[in-house]
Amino acid sequence: MDVNQYLEIFLDETNEHLQSLSDQLMILENEPENADTINEIFRAAHSLKGMAGTMGYKRMQALTHDMENVFSEIRNGKMKVTSNLVDVLFQTLDALEEYKNTIQETQDEGTNDNAALIKALQQCLDEGTGNVTEEAPAETKEEPASDSGNENGDKKWKNIALQEHEINALKEAEEKKMNIYGCTVFIQESCILKAARAFLVFKAVEELGEIIISEPSTQDIEDEKFDFDFSLYIISEEGYDKVEAAIMSVSEIEKVIGEKVSAADAIANGEANEKAVEAKEESGAAETAQPAKEETAAPASPAPAAAAAPAAAPAAQGGNAPAKKGANKPVVNRTVRVDIEKLDVLMNLVSELIIAKNSLVSSAASGGQAGNNSNFNEQIEYLESVTTNLHESVMKVRMVPIESITTKFPRMIRDLSKKLNKKMELYMSGEDTELDRTVVDEIGDPLMHMLRNSADHGLESTEERIAKGKNPTGSIFLDAYQDGNNVVIEVKDDGNGIDVEAVKRKAIDRGTITAEQGENMSSKEIIDLLFLPSFSTAKVVSDVSGRGVGLDVVKSKIEALGGDVSVKTKLGEGSTFSIRLPLTLAIIQALMVIVGGETYAISLGSIDTIEDISENDVKYVEAKEVIHLRGNVIPIVRLHEVLGLEMPKENKDRMIVVIVKKGDQYAGLVVDELIGQQEIVIKSLGKYINCTSRMISGATILGDGEVALIIDANCLI
Amino acid sequence: MDEISLMNNEFDTTQFIVINIGDEQYGIDIKYVDNIVRMQKITRVPNCQDYFKGVINLRGEVVPVMSFRMKVNLPEVENTNKTRIIIIKLEPNAPVGIIVDAVKEVVTLTDNNIDAASRSSTNNDPTYINGIGKTGGTLISLLDLNVVISEKETA
Repeated sequence: MDVNQYLEIFLDETNEHLQSLSDQLMILENEPENADTINEIFRAAHSLKGMAGTMGYKRMQALTHDMENVFSEIRNGKMKVTSNLVDVLFQTLDALEEYKNTIQETQDEGTNDNAALIKALQQCLDEGTGNVTEEAPAETKEEPASDSGNENGDKKWKNIALQEHEINALKEAEEKKMNIYGCTVFIQESCILKAARAFLVFKAVEELGEIIISEPSTQDIEDEKFDFDFSLYIISEEGYDKVEAAIMSVSEIEKVIGEKVSAADAIANGEANEKAVEAKEESGAAETAQPAKEETAAPASPAPAAAAAPAAAPAAQGGNAPAKKGANKPVVNRTVRVDIEKLDVLMNLVSELIIAKNSLVSSAASGGQAGNNSNFNEQIEYLESVTTNLHESVMKVRMVPIESITTKFPRMIRDLSKKLNKKMELYMSGEDTELDRTVVDEIGDPLMHMLRNSADHGLESTEERIAKGKNPTGSIFLDAYQDGNNVVIEVKDDGNGIDVEAVKRKAIDRGTITAEQGENMSSKEIIDLLFLPSFSTAKVVSDVSGRGVGLDVVKSKIEALGGDVSVKTKLGEGSTFSIRLPLTLAIIQALMVIVGGETYAISLGSIDTIEDISENDVKYVEAKEVIHLRGNVIPIVRLHEVLGLEMPKENKDRMIVVIVKKGDQYAGLVVDELIGQQEIVIKSLGKYINCTSRMISGATILGDGEVALIIDANCLI
Repeated sequence: MDEISLMNNEFDTTQFIVINIGDEQYGIDIKYVDNIVRMQKITRVPNCQDYFKGVINLRGEVVPVMSFRMKVNLPEVENTNKTRIIIIKLEPNAPVGIIVDAVKEVVTLTDNNIDAASRSSTNNDPTYINGIGKTGGTLISLLDLNVVISEKETA
């Protein structure tokens, strides 16, 4: 079967399910009895298995199947959730993630069977259940019927919820002295046409008696919407042996488990399990919803799939020559999942745009007549409002909450906590902060680096914390928020902070700086040394961090995205790493200014105020020009100088200073003239032109067709 | 028209745009040329490589423009109404403009008419040239655009 066109959907959904599994597992570890969570997990695992099977990824399917078995036992209350079990399950998720990545790159699941993991899962299963899977019926027989809710095991018929007319039918049958049997039929897992086998079973049973109800419903069974077992309530005049023999006469039936029951029992069972059944039905609904989803998505996928196919070809060749670049190229294009509502809004705006165009056309056709001018202006205003809204909506489509990456972190911190043997807790806020998809994709790794850094270097060991009288459990905070046109993400820990002296000594030891230089450096400059390549202060190199390839990578990656990284630290109290990223809106509000006859744009988001300052107010601190403004000392930057322009000859006694801010730092930019506020479209300068300072972040085209450069105020602070 | 394309198929031919820089003629492979535009207002970009004159607005796209004369260490001249900017696209979505004194013509050269650039010649900057084309008794230096556009400064 050609499943290429579904690959994207498969990967997308696998991601979703894996994430949901990981999230729920975290919850489960803390609340092992949470039934909702267990159901949720089971559902995700089950869908994952189904999807992997459909796509023909047998190894992935096998692994998920074993995982599902474990969850199934937990759900039935036969196993307790232990920390050890959660560990194994997390490893399983990792392995599945690996399969997914391999599939993404090569379209093939690879050859790793993960036999060890499967064995571990099996072992957990055996330990947890006391290996009762086979003997379950014998054991549970002694259990009182009312307890059966969680103890049914293979006697799944007890889970059948009965409707009123079925209850009546059962009671009637009892009155007529007919026998009522509950039974569950297991089909061999190798069976290909399960629906057909089930049909034969039904036929065989109906020769002997009547089927009151089946679980899943007959319709679902016909549609093959069941695993490898189904349960029945049968009324018959014949003995149970005969019924069982009839069912077993159908080939490929593994076993039949059943017994004679009374109507009252059946009803009691049904009620006791109503809750469980509800959950089951829900999961059934989730499954049926899935194919529907795939169907709706399918018409959209051929185009990307076609694009993916050529990419797959080099990937396949890459298998022979692993060094070849093509092998690393993912076979799937990057996509954004878009809320239908957002698309509807877009659609509406586009239709409005067409209407606006039409009215313009008609007013142009009747043009020249008196009084038309105001109408024309009205249309222009309308058009403007539509385009502004359109822009906003399109931007929104590209924006995704950073949640999509932060959800991995609690799990990571949990693992680190175990590995490093430190107690720690991660607190996150602002996960709903939205960033452009391209940026969100890129900051996952840097953030992970920084969290690892905080966990490994930042937080002290538990003993040390107790000795210091701190809470033995260390805290790491991940906070995201929007600040003007930027998004700030902070990673904060309440650990020991950065020991500036230690960093200095190490830098001197390594010859990065001389002892003399060290004397003259401010603590901020010394901390910045941490961002140099191959610099690590951890005395012991662990496999978590300490190889010195952390922070410089973080820095270069963030800078490539047009952002920057800064550190604040207090010895003994912890440190805060802040990442500041542009929202990457392609259109921004900007202040247009004139410097030396040239027009420049400054992003409005970074502007605090605009001041008119007398030349006499400029003071000197450390031979740098500053002004004193409302209690703040603000350094001023003469844009003429940094832009390589000649200073105006005549000395004006007043100057216009645009105060820009970055976080809590300010700078004043001296300009000649202000033009005003304008909405500008950011264009890149192209890859060939190379600004030595990163002061110019791009260019824009003005209404008169001229190009104006955009000054990145953040670089001037 | 058909005849020409037929001929092109029969021999291995390449079309070049011939540009003038002072008295010399240079050829640019036509397949890299996106556009030829008249001189227009160039917005200076501060602190960039000095041979980049700045950026222009090319139908809504911002395109960086370099001076060929400055790149190959020739003296600058005043712009005339023959000055042109040749928009080159070595890669899609990465256009770059090159200012030349004038654009003369388009020539079609067969491979037989292209000689490899002589390394031993006393030419100032043989590195920018990857061949010499002969047509109608004149010689055209064929530019290696990758070298012209790349950032590497000539020593």
